[in-house]
Amino acid sequence: MNYIGEHTFWALAGRFFTYLAFTGALGTALFYGLNWFRPGACSGPDELGRPRPAHGPFLSAGRASFVLHSIGILGVVSILMTAILSHWFEFDYVWRHSSRDLPIEYVFSALWEGQEGSFIIWMFWHMVLGWFLVRGARSWEHGTMAVVGLAQLLLTSMILGVYVFGTKIGSSPFVLIRELPENLGLPWTTIKDYLIRIPAFRDGQGLNPLLQNYWMVIHPPTLFLGFAATLIPFAYVVAGWIERRPLDWVTPALPWVFFGVGVLGTGILMGGAWAYEALSFGGFWAWDPVENASLVPWITLVAAGHLMFIVKKKKTSGGLTALMVMLTFVLILYSTFLTRSGVLGDSSVHSFVDLGLNGQLMLLLGFFALGSLVLLVARWRALPKNTADEAFSSREFWLVIGSLVLLLSAVQISFSTSIPVLNKIIGPEGLIPLLGEAMAPPADVFRHYHSIQIPVAIVVSLFMATVPFLRWDSTPGAMMRRMLPSLVASLVLGGLAAWGLKFDQPMYTVLLITGMFAAFANLDYWLRFLRGNWRSGGLALAHFGFALILLGALISNGKKQAISQNPVFLHKDFPANEHILIPAGDTVSMHPYWVEWTGERREGHFQIYDVNFYGTNPDQTPGEKLFALAPYIQINPRMGNVREPSTKHYWDRDIYTYVSFADMRSPEEKESGWTEEMEATMGRGEEVFVFDEFMMRCDSIIVNDAQMVQETGDLAALDMAARLTLKHMDGRSETIDVPYQVRGNQATPGEAEFAALGVKARFDGVSDEPGRFTMKFWRKSPEDDEFILLQAFIFPYINLLWLGVVLLAIGSGLAVAKRIVGPKPAPKA
Amino acid sequence: MKRNHIIALVVIALLVGALMVTIQDASTYATFEMAEKKSPETVTVVGQLDLDQPITFNAQTSMLRFTAVDKDGERSVVYFNQPKPTDFERSEEITLTGLSSGDTAFFAQDILMKCPSKYADEAKLSAE
Repeated sequence: MNYIGEHTFWALAGRFFTYLAFTGALGTALFYGLNWFRPGACSGPDELGRPRPAHGPFLSAGRASFVLHSIGILGVVSILMTAILSHWFEFDYVWRHSSRDLPIEYVFSALWEGQEGSFIIWMFWHMVLGWFLVRGARSWEHGTMAVVGLAQLLLTSMILGVYVFGTKIGSSPFVLIRELPENLGLPWTTIKDYLIRIPAFRDGQGLNPLLQNYWMVIHPPTLFLGFAATLIPFAYVVAGWIERRPLDWVTPALPWVFFGVGVLGTGILMGGAWAYEALSFGGFWAWDPVENASLVPWITLVAAGHLMFIVKKKKTSGGLTALMVMLTFVLILYSTFLTRSGVLGDSSVHSFVDLGLNGQLMLLLGFFALGSLVLLVARWRALPKNTADEAFSSREFWLVIGSLVLLLSAVQISFSTSIPVLNKIIGPEGLIPLLGEAMAPPADVFRHYHSIQIPVAIVVSLFMATVPFLRWDSTPGAMMRRMLPSLVASLVLGGLAAWGLKFDQPMYTVLLITGMFAAFANLDYWLRFLRGNWRSGGLALAHFGFALILLGALISNGKKQAISQNPVFLHKDFPANEHILIPAGDTVSMHPYWVEWTGERREGHFQIYDVNFYGTNPDQTPGEKLFALAPYIQINPRMGNVREPSTKHYWDRDIYTYVSFADMRSPEEKESGWTEEMEATMGRGEEVFVFDEFMMRCDSIIVNDAQMVQETGDLAALDMAARLTLKHMDGRSETIDVPYQVRGNQATPGEAEFAALGVKARFDGVSDEPGRFTMKFWRKSPEDDEFILLQAFIFPYINLLWLGVVLLAIGSGLAVAKRIVGPKPAPKA
Repeated sequence: MKRNHIIALVVIALLVGALMVTIQDASTYATFEMAEKKSPETVTVVGQLDLDQPITFNAQTSMLRFTAVDKDGERSVVYFNQPKPTDFERSEEITLTGLSSGDTAFFAQDILMKCPSKYADEAKLSAE
């Protein structure tokens, strides 16, 4: 049948390009890989220590396959993009992730919002980076491209969307809605012009409004570029170990590691910036499993990069370095598994929906994890033996220790994040039931992670401060003394700052001092030792940036101040919370500000609440107006309404506020006057606790009139009433009669009001239990009940963090540039 | 190599220590009955909102009071000293982290809601 209005040609073309990309990846892996079977390819360098010639017979076939693969990926991206831009809503992916009114800048976000799209952007970056290897990897082209081809093959299989022997392989973004398994055979799929007839197809579901934020335009592609960057060092290490060159791969792979550190680090904190601006959990980092999943590989990548220096300079630590690079890539895959398999459903707010690809994801993960392990074990003996201990004062010794500390940090974060996975494996209902009861994520995640990660941060910052001053082999005392000025400066300034900021936790004070030490020492190292040279200053600058990130995170979180203290006293063990009620037009104190809510307005999806901040006069009265903020609630029928913050930025602090509760009822609902319906079954003399503040007692049941039908003894008419006494906790009480009438089979519930206390009661019916009856109660919605609850924080010195991110990115960039653009060392004679 | 062995041992010891702390910090999934027995330990209860019971929110103290049913079908009054989450009534499943006060109520420190996606409803297309 020919459907009207469908773009089936393009759906087919999309499928075609997917298969082309798949086949191309297969060819890339196969032909480049076959090269390993050329004579001597895997027996290490030749007798003179030179790498063996790389030109095997399959070079051209491998390159041609990669060209086909690239065309496939580009085709997939262009068709999907066209489908979104042209609103072809017969495509399930387009219908689910975009809509007609989607602003153009978010079309890109729609492209990668879904799982299929995020695989596509990831593969796209792999493909782009792959070309750098084809063009510039020289003797490494074969080995690395075989690994890239293999990774692309497995990733492309995630978007194949074919069924092999009844098993679904991948999920294609080019599936039409009528082709979805759940829709097959439904009557509407046989209508020729269903696209016109069925209104649901006229517009798509739209992009999740939460993601309609400018950070979400750049955060995912940056993060995925960072993810993709970890494949390249992985490809180098695998190629190096297969070819029995277990140390040589380090030099060409180093710039890629710093590229990855810079891009992935920036990408992660762009996500933090989005959370800070668009979510109301009150900060840039929540230790959410999805955040952790991308942080952990970054940490191991940093460790790997540092270890690679040892391999490059000292030709030792080859095994640990290889392990760390492989671990990083496997952790990237693991993080994909965590966020996409739905296993985090209970513990994370933003994991993807399960597409039924868990088995395939686990295969992908298992293949690379086991493969790496087998390769390490099989080729361990190719490592040069070294028996000498490194000197205590050598740089290499402390780089190893530092990397192990980073590994420790990564393992701990990974372990806690994996609790839902552990439950699946060893929980009471898991594969091997070891645990008696299911483990749940820690109740207080901040306290949990900080208890280990703050000591780690202290050690790491100490290392960052001192290790750059150490020399290879051993360090002369004169060099050690160069650290002294920074140490003294950080002790003095750190102490003063801790006192000025009123730090009360010793751990925080220590981190403040060591963090400053790291910042000063690296600045000093760059300015005095490297004479401010930009070309070689990359690492010092990146260290300085990371020290600022630590300091910014520490001060802004450690001294995060909730200024919206609820003044109502509840109980000494049950502290009042940090949400303050602001009646319309009133001004309440939020020390050091006075805050006024002036009104609300609607703009598109946004219900905006205008809030003015005033200073405080010496006599504690509101002073002059300082600034206005406009936190809003995003009306989001699909995902639920979202409270979004508004922040006033000063150079040294942010004032961050959001509406934590607002009456979102429609005007009609508000006008009804009675709210909070509740039901209770009562009998004479019984008491019920209602609305948290009243005691309702049924004093008696009064029967005014009862008539029987003479012949049958059935009730013909009944007039009765329940006498209720309502007593407020403050002692006020009121008594009323609530009537109830029966005429034959017809019962009429009666209503009555406790006028003074503002409660309405309805005698709803007689209960099945003798002598008892059901009552419904409402309370009067207070007049002029226009109010909002507001939560507000001051984040001091949070700009240090953002400055640190920028410097980390610039520093990593310089480190990359030095190793690529810099003049090549003169060839050895 | 001796020193390397010492380093390895120290790292392993630290690792074990860190994982022990992690396991100690992990709370457990429980029912209201288990929560009561374990009180005042913090636990995680997965359940549903009981929509037949009143859900009251006192804005002055920003205290939310509702009734939840755990997976065993047991009911408990829950207090949550935070503003009422948006679309609270629509939630399909709620994950409560908190502690039991003994026998009267459960005090939640954190609530995670799972809301049905509207997509599921709208995907049921019908040719009218």
